[in-house]
Amino acid sequence: MFIAILRVIVRRLLAIVPVFAVVTVLVFGALRILPVDPAQMSLPPSATIEQVEAKREAMGLNRPIWTQYSMWAQAAITGDLGESAQYRTSTAAVVLDRLPATIELVICALIFAVCVGMTGGLLIFAVRGTALESVGLVVTSAVMALPDFLLALLFILLLGVLIPIFPVNGRLDPGMQVPSYTGFLLIDAVLTGDFRVIVSAFEHIALPVMALGLAFSPTIVRVLHASLINTYQQSYIQQARLRGLSDREILFGQALKNAIVPVVILVGTQFGGLFGGTLLVEMIFSFPGLGNLMVKAMQTADLSVIMAISLIYCATTLIFNSIADALAYLLNPRLRNG
Amino acid sequence: MTEHDILRIKSLEISLMTGHNILNGIDLTIRAGRIHGVIGESGAGKSMIGSAIADTLPQGLEISRGAIEFDGLTLTDMNARTRRDLLGRDIGFIPQEPMSALNPSLTIGHQVCHHLARIGLRTAKTRQERAVELFTEVGLDRPWDLLQSYPHQLSGGMLQRVLIAMAFASNPRLVIADEPTTALDVTIQKKVVELIARTRAAHNTAVLFITHDLQLAADVCDDVSVLYAGRIVETGAAERIIHAPMHPYSRCLNLATPNLSGPKAQLMILPGTMPGPVDRMQMPGCEFALRCPLAEDQCHSTRPALDGVGTEHKSACHWPERTGLITAVEAPTGTAAGRLGEKLVLRATGLGKAYRQHDWLGRVREVHALRGLDFDVREGEFVGIVGESGSGKSSLTKLIVGLEDVSTGVLELVGLDRATAPRADFFDKVQLVFQDPQSALNPRRKIGRLVTQALEGRGGAYSAATRAELVKTLLAKVMLPPEVADRFPDQLSGGQKQRVNIARALCSNPQLLIADEIVSGLDVSVQAQILELLSALRKEAAFSLLLVSHDLAVVRHVCDRTLVMCKGEIVEQGPVEEVFGNPQHPYTRDLVAAAQGPTVSSI
Ligand SMILES: Nc1ncnc2c1ncn2[C@@H]1O[C@H](COP(=O)(O)OP(=O)(O)O)[C@@H](O)[C@H]1O
Ligand code: SF4
Ligand SMILES: [Mg+2]
Repeated sequence: MFIAILRVIVRRLLAIVPVFAVVTVLVFGALRILPVDPAQMSLPPSATIEQVEAKREAMGLNRPIWTQYSMWAQAAITGDLGESAQYRTSTAAVVLDRLPATIELVICALIFAVCVGMTGGLLIFAVRGTALESVGLVVTSAVMALPDFLLALLFILLLGVLIPIFPVNGRLDPGMQVPSYTGFLLIDAVLTGDFRVIVSAFEHIALPVMALGLAFSPTIVRVLHASLINTYQQSYIQQARLRGLSDREILFGQALKNAIVPVVILVGTQFGGLFGGTLLVEMIFSFPGLGNLMVKAMQTADLSVIMAISLIYCATTLIFNSIADALAYLLNPRLRNG
Repeated sequence: MTEHDILRIKSLEISLMTGHNILNGIDLTIRAGRIHGVIGESGAGKSMIGSAIADTLPQGLEISRGAIEFDGLTLTDMNARTRRDLLGRDIGFIPQEPMSALNPSLTIGHQVCHHLARIGLRTAKTRQERAVELFTEVGLDRPWDLLQSYPHQLSGGMLQRVLIAMAFASNPRLVIADEPTTALDVTIQKKVVELIARTRAAHNTAVLFITHDLQLAADVCDDVSVLYAGRIVETGAAERIIHAPMHPYSRCLNLATPNLSGPKAQLMILPGTMPGPVDRMQMPGCEFALRCPLAEDQCHSTRPALDGVGTEHKSACHWPERTGLITAVEAPTGTAAGRLGEKLVLRATGLGKAYRQHDWLGRVREVHALRGLDFDVREGEFVGIVGESGSGKSSLTKLIVGLEDVSTGVLELVGLDRATAPRADFFDKVQLVFQDPQSALNPRRKIGRLVTQALEGRGGAYSAATRAELVKTLLAKVMLPPEVADRFPDQLSGGQKQRVNIARALCSNPQLLIADEIVSGLDVSVQAQILELLSALRKEAAFSLLLVSHDLAVVRHVCDRTLVMCKGEIVEQGPVEEVFGNPQHPYTRDLVAAAQGPTVSSI
């Protein structure tokens, strides 16, 4: 059984390889159409025309675009994503340096969104048929209307300025240092065992996580609520009631396992959006992650960094789609052993 | 005697918020170890009785009068919590649709053991052992494997056994079975009913058996109450009510049911439909008066009380003794032998169909849905196809109407080879009548347009006048008044919709009509209307009919010949009287025995 489950997941992941290849072609093509000269960008402004020309030749920029792509692809497979024009070091190193911060942000936001969304969905469902249900749904819609960056600004105003409970930028209090064991700041902070450092690390990530997570949660509330209502119309719920099961047992023991499937699919398919949302939120909170790096790379036309980050965005979306797909499949015994 | 009464319902009344009553003055008593049947058409309020006992009435309905006593406790005075505690312990339920009654994402073992835990089995080991014991008791094979199975891996019959095992697990004093066999195959129906009867005897349980099937009620029940428009119109020993009823409605139901043996009679057709909760308010007299063949003026003005007409036999009619006057019309004997044409409308030789199936790991299997079918249908001939679900009936109809391609053998239709002749050549000549009249009709179109839909897409060859004329003829053919043409499907009853469906199929003057289970979801009285319509159409012999049905009596009533299918093969075929009267193949014998029910063989 375990092997079979693994097979399903691996199979789904393999299926995204060709899709990903096509995506690289599209992104590569789009960036080459831009009216910027990567050779010039990667040299100091003082470089002579001859030096730029020589660099163009060395970078292969005078060759046809498909040759350029195949050169890029061959290098990329070995882990060489080119050189960042801005930092003048390996692009891979620059990107990998920032990746953990964004992963932390996104995972925390996801956990926050799922907790808030599930609680909200269950609460609104619990008061179904009463006026409270309508109130809950209206509030949900209102939150849904607020995009993540707006929530971020509101939180800064509310919890950063008006009632200053949380810091509004950076990752740690000034002067604090955390040795890098894993690259993930939250984990490293916990590993120091220093209570002040841990609190500071969590305080700093709180607002970005809440902004990003809260923006995502109304959709979860809605989907869970609708899915529960649908599940409760099934005759096995009525039958469970006729066996004398209490409302709680029916909700948690019988209904939730079936009602959760659409939520899993939603989270998987919308995870890409959450990841993309980090861009603005990181900028607003000066959070040193991929989003901020991307914005800087755009300002300086650092093409290889833009390319690398774009591909990370795409890959995340694809991978999470597949994982959600596989999970939904595994949660449904009818598909699993049909 | 009274201390043995398990369930006592006293003048129970259930009403809508608007004050309209759904149930009226229901009195019903069941003693320990007895099976009490509640029969009636859909909408009569049968399920409401069960819901009232379980305290699961739909929102907007409430008990407005009366009391329900269960084993000395007055349920209607207890709080919700205490009532719920009785469910699953002292009161068990067997549902109508076993296929959807268990949670699809939990194993059978999980669900059964959870129930056993609730009724007090402490350790996981004792629960599993008890579950296996229960499974064995209800005749399920390989009970240990079953614990690990998911509901979708079991057939409807097996699931119903699991549910019966669960219902009786706690030795309840009362079991409520709401149409427990309606969703099952005939051969399984009989076994399930016998199982309920046997288990009831072993546990000395009182059973409330809700059904619309008279034959079934006659087979299993000790006592029966006939429900009409929310009132009990007759109650007494099952034997008497089924075979010697003292209320016109019971009699009419009986005469509307086709039977598998005895002389063929025309089915009784009840005019109109049962009045709904709102219409009943305007009826001061007998609610059955508008449809009763014996109704007189007094019936419309005064309501008859449910009075005794014999030992423990009551009837709510002013003239119960006249019930016997209602008789069926003998069917004209010797069904016009010469009317069958010489030509073959359909001929199958060595016909086979194989489906390729992929499982979730992508492995391919071949499933032989049909194997080596040889049969033919002559012009004007009505042929039945019987067999349990999965025997290939629907696959065969799909091949004939061209929804699937033939895998092996030859299928000749109206003189053309189905495999090689262009599809368009068959459109008008072969028509299908759909099983579900509701979903087959576009709700936004008027009946007139629906009936002549087949003419559309053929250019303007038909003027509005010819079309209107055609609508009228078609509606007349299916015995609907011409004004129906201007109505929408939602404004028609189930039986009328099914007639519209038939009219629509007749529009293009087909040579072959295929009807797949067209009466299976309908009430006895509506089914009788459709069957009589088919019988009438048969006399005109304008087309041939292939009637797929799980109900042998239906096929006997309408068809000349029948095919018996089992596991994708035709195991027997011949004239209906011969096949059902003297079945040769063991499978046919099983089918016939199941359809006749246990009592017939014991008489
Ligand atoms: N939720 C509901 N609201 C209002 N009326 C209902 C509801 N459910 C059923 N009814 C009415 O109750 C009557 C009896 O229904 P039911 O007990 O299901 O009949 P049966 O089981 O005999 O087919 C019907 O006339 C139906 O219209
Ligand atoms: S009281 Fe009259 S209408 Fe009612 S069942 Fe008897 S004869 Fe028919
Ligand atoms: Mg019912």
